Amino acid sequence: MAKIIVVTSGKGGVGKTTSAAAIATGLALRGKKTVVIDFDVGLRNLDLIMGCERRVVYDLVNVIQGEAGLAQALIRDKRVDNLHILPASQTRDKDALTPEGVEKVLETLSGDFDYILCDSPAGIERGAQLAMYFADEAIVVTNPEVSSVRDSDRILGLLAAKTRRAERGEDPVKEHLLITRYNPERVDYGDMLTLEDIREILAIDLIGLIPESEAVLRASNQGIPVVHDQKSDAGLAYADTVSRLLGEEVPLRFHEIQKKGLLSRMFGGGRR
Amino acid sequence: MSLKADRASLAFSFKGGLLPMTVMELTSADPERIREQLAGKLSQSPAFFQHTPVVLSVERLDEPHLALERICAVCRAHKLLPVAVRGGSDPVKQSAWALGLGWFPPQEARARSLESVPVGDAEVAAPSSAASGAAEPAAVPAARIYRGTVRSGQQVSAPEGDLVVIGAVNAGAEVLAAGSVHVYGALRGRALAGIHGNAATGIYCRELHAELLSVAGNYKRLEDVDPRLLGAAVEVHLSDDQLAIAALD
Ligand SMILES: Nc1ncnc2c1ncn2[C@@H]1O[C@H](COP(=O)(O)OP(=O)(O)O)[C@@H](O)[C@H]1O
Ligand SMILES: [Mg+2]
Repeated sequence: MAKIIVVTSGKGGVGKTTSAAAIATGLALRGKKTVVIDFDVGLRNLDLIMGCERRVVYDLVNVIQGEAGLAQALIRDKRVDNLHILPASQTRDKDALTPEGVEKVLETLSGDFDYILCDSPAGIERGAQLAMYFADEAIVVTNPEVSSVRDSDRILGLLAAKTRRAERGEDPVKEHLLITRYNPERVDYGDMLTLEDIREILAIDLIGLIPESEAVLRASNQGIPVVHDQKSDAGLAYADTVSRLLGEEVPLRFHEIQKKGLLSRMFGGGRR
Repeated sequence: MSLKADRASLAFSFKGGLLPMTVMELTSADPERIREQLAGKLSQSPAFFQHTPVVLSVERLDEPHLALERICAVCRAHKLLPVAVRGGSDPVKQSAWALGLGWFPPQEARARSLESVPVGDAEVAAPSSAASGAAEPAAVPAARIYRGTVRSGQQVSAPEGDLVVIGAVNAGAEVLAAGSVHVYGALRGRALAGIHGNAATGIYCRELHAELLSVAGNYKRLEDVDPRLLGAAVEVHLSDDQLAIAALD
């Protein structure tokens, strides 16, 4: 039985798709059979970040509407074994997804995979609720801004009320906080909320902290999830996040201003 | 499951709401005297008079007939928008309705009639205001205890007794109780105590950042709170119809 993990946030543009791609890739690199599903029907971003946009033939909506089989729609990742992508449709409208259809897809995938990651659309409406409904765990992606924290708080409320686990009175969805686009200089300057502020308000476990990094932009332009770039701060931070998801204890890094030493400048380590 | 509801086909949905509302308690029924006083107030604090909705309370007046239409006109001329009348005789009620205003029963009667009816989460009644000599605290039902963070968009209420939150109330969340509200954590959202008019209730919290504090309908917004009290453990109660906020330590 696969673990179903939704990557969600409420607010858009905070790094859900970047995170879903990086974490799914990281899990596969650690030998876990992983599939990542794009629930953002209409926008379809995940395949770009994963670098498989030219190989999309069928999508989640086709499968749900019975126009294609799951095996036909799943795209095998070129770089990592054990990793599959189920893209979203760019042309269909959002209402093409039905709870019954999604449930059936997840059930079928559950038999074949260890992890199912659901990349949620922004918002708190139907699309986002559908992406979270069947989840066992949730990664709540939050930027160090008041509005993002507020939206994450809202999403946490929905996770506690509008999921299958909540409605059936089962163990609640396990919630993890993933802080992304963290910029210690700007936090220090008072422009952004601190790590402590965010943790105190949201009051859930921190699974990772991803610094604001040029490596992310580079990675998404190349269609190679940033976790492959193990020389970059963001790549390392996502690898740490994956380790914690697998239950390992890993110390936090990149949350404090780093003084660039001569060595790191010469060998290109640290913040890039 | 809720996802199946075809939201697109609904034109609206009813939501419970509890909005801060200014009550204008009339001690004179003379439109001219009201006009004079309003004119004075308007020059003192023009910011207040921006089509502010008000409830006209006529409970203190002892007149079976009121020049309600003229009073409303005076209010509107000063950028106050009467939305309802509270109290008064049957003819007052009829003329309120004829003017398109709502009518609320007088404070004491309201408190009693509501206290006997359990009120569900989403159907909390409209705002009430402080009454001098509001309902005495009767035999108080057991407190409702909520463990965990009350999050943005959530509402937790104790329609009959006290509400105890063991956790924080975040911005965008709302906690309300017929009795007192106790928050063993940071209070960043809205807290309303004495929602049925019980003025002997209060709000207690470990860390004050509340968006709104209300006791028996008397409210303060964050911007009205003395900045020195922000972040402090405080007690909020009514003193002479005014919200008093005092540090606990
Ligand atoms: N850690 C980061 N550093 C810099 N840019 C980032 C980071 N994470 C995400 N971004 C950028 O933010 C934008 C939105 O990211 P995306 O993952 O598409 O967000 P969402 O899926 O939440 O809408 C993209 O341009 C992405 O490259
Ligand atoms: Mg996205």
